[in-house]
Amino acid sequence: MRSPEIKLNTFKSLSVGGAAAVSWYFATNALLTGPMSNVVSVVGAVAISALLPSYLGARRARYIADNQSLALGQHIDVLNEHAIVNVVDRSTNLTEVNDRFLEVTGYSREELIGTSVHNLYCDENQKLAPTIHLLLSMGKSWSGETPLRRKDGSVFYTHTTVRPIYDLKGNWIGSISARTDVTQTHELLAARDIAQVTDEMKDDIWIVDCDMMAATYMNKVALGRLGLRRAAEQLIPLSQLKGVDGVGSILATCRDMRSTGADNAQFETEYCGKPFHIGVTRLKAGTLKGRFMVVMADMTKRVSEEQRKSDFISTVSHELRSPLTSIKGAMGLLLSRAAGELPDKAVSMLEIAHRNADRLVLIINDILDLEKIAAGRMEFDRQVVNISDLITETKNANATMQQRFAVKVESNSDDSPIWINTDPNRIIQVLNNFLSNACKFSKPGSTVRIVIEDQSDSVRVAVKDQGTGIPIKDQHKVFERFADMENSNRSAKGGTGLGLSICKAIVEGLGGNIGFETTEGIGATFYFVLPKTEANMEITPADNVVKMRSAS
Amino acid sequence: MLKLIHVEDDADIREIAKMSLDLAGDFDVIQCECGEEALARVQDYTPDVILLDMMMPGMTGRQTLEEMRKLPHLANVPAIFMTARAQHAEIEELRNVGAADVISKPFDPMSLADQIKSAIRK
Repeated sequence: MRSPEIKLNTFKSLSVGGAAAVSWYFATNALLTGPMSNVVSVVGAVAISALLPSYLGARRARYIADNQSLALGQHIDVLNEHAIVNVVDRSTNLTEVNDRFLEVTGYSREELIGTSVHNLYCDENQKLAPTIHLLLSMGKSWSGETPLRRKDGSVFYTHTTVRPIYDLKGNWIGSISARTDVTQTHELLAARDIAQVTDEMKDDIWIVDCDMMAATYMNKVALGRLGLRRAAEQLIPLSQLKGVDGVGSILATCRDMRSTGADNAQFETEYCGKPFHIGVTRLKAGTLKGRFMVVMADMTKRVSEEQRKSDFISTVSHELRSPLTSIKGAMGLLLSRAAGELPDKAVSMLEIAHRNADRLVLIINDILDLEKIAAGRMEFDRQVVNISDLITETKNANATMQQRFAVKVESNSDDSPIWINTDPNRIIQVLNNFLSNACKFSKPGSTVRIVIEDQSDSVRVAVKDQGTGIPIKDQHKVFERFADMENSNRSAKGGTGLGLSICKAIVEGLGGNIGFETTEGIGATFYFVLPKTEANMEITPADNVVKMRSAS
Repeated sequence: MLKLIHVEDDADIREIAKMSLDLAGDFDVIQCECGEEALARVQDYTPDVILLDMMMPGMTGRQTLEEMRKLPHLANVPAIFMTARAQHAEIEELRNVGAADVISKPFDPMSLADQIKSAIRK
């Protein structure tokens, strides 16, 4: 493919521009023009001969000019094949491009001429544009690396030299850029950097190509685990790893992501006989685009540490509960006068001890719950229940609390039943927490209201007190563990400081959300919203029978 | 009077349980400190209810019950476990091996008798 326009313009500049134009011809026209053509051979030769020293004879001058033109033409062929060249005017609009430019960018000449070269720039070289412009205006050239965007949006990297160009009067009229495509070098360097970094990592890393059904890259630890060595052209067919447990699920996940378009997936599986956490990410750029990076973390140590921690907490809680059984039991029997009447002062002190033993039990239970939450092992026993029943049960269970704090509890739980598919014991735990907090922080003689709100797909349960409210400065830490809040007076109120953080984990674990509204000095409302029922649940209102439709 | 055999390795807890059941007045209580002792005792004794601590040195409560169930006269006697490890999965497991109820420790001495009677009725 040829670019006669460039040759012609080059000639025009050259023929009249004097010595400066000659040097520009040699410097840039060699890059710009296509294969030797009649236009160049004739016009170029004439131009050169006109400028040669006068003492050379016309024939000799002609001979030299012809030879130079021939050589230049050959240079031009090579450089035109190699370099990506464009010319822009002072407004950066493209006036000329060579065929290589079109080939690399994917545009047609018609699409480019007259448009700004900046349209091809990535964000990073948009920033360079003013610097280059300044240098060109000062008659200087610029060289450096510039990424450009192809018509399909992909990026290629070029090493670029930009020089200013002038008209016959020496006015700066634009610039000419010659670029070398360095994308491959760039990617090889990037791949080498990635390899250097990933080889240092403890996790196994694969790059998987679903089409080739192969791992195109594995880091050192991944290769070592499979007993493989790094080859120069690394391509490990996954069929070669058929016998390795876990490989099937990794490949299945990559394929699934390819068909669904998902960008990330995470799962746990046995791999090479050990528990592994697998993270798969779709790669979106460079030569690796469309492949999947698989990061595999060996969880053996973590699992055994978690198990040890869990066993320890479980054992400690058991060891604490056993003596507490005796302490609480003995005090409970004494308080119930099982051993006869007691002086009032003794009863009062026993009550304090009994109350604090209760608190210790709550703390142990909460610590166990927190351990389950931290380990992601909070268990839910879902059943279809009427939320109103759970509220009535909680109200009854907190009768003593209501008496102790002289608070009246009202609810609208007698309204028509609202069925939800949830863990009733865990919801009672949340309701107990809300209600006991409301009682503790209410003014004596005030009323705590439990309000159930039947929303379209969900149910909202709010416990509203007329207490002191929560100061603004403490509101952000309400659901934090052991949040040290003003007015909380935990020891006197009998709280553990863990309850609300556990409630949050429970409600969120059940697919709902939790929150509060408060005005200092007026009171607080704690609420949760839970999804009501699953679509496959049938409720027969006549006899309140709830059935799960069998899966079809 | 309900005949109850209580197997518990902690002497203090045995005493608390005995006092609370005596207070209720409806139970005739026999206590053993381990599964082996309980198994020897039930060879010629048929209780109306078996109350077993779960975690005991030697035979656990569960193993003790499994051995008791092999005795024809104890095959259908309601069994209740007491456990300080009141984990959901563990409670489910105990129910699956035939527990009529699982009482969490610390228990309320004033309602222990009622809890046992309610489990028997179930």
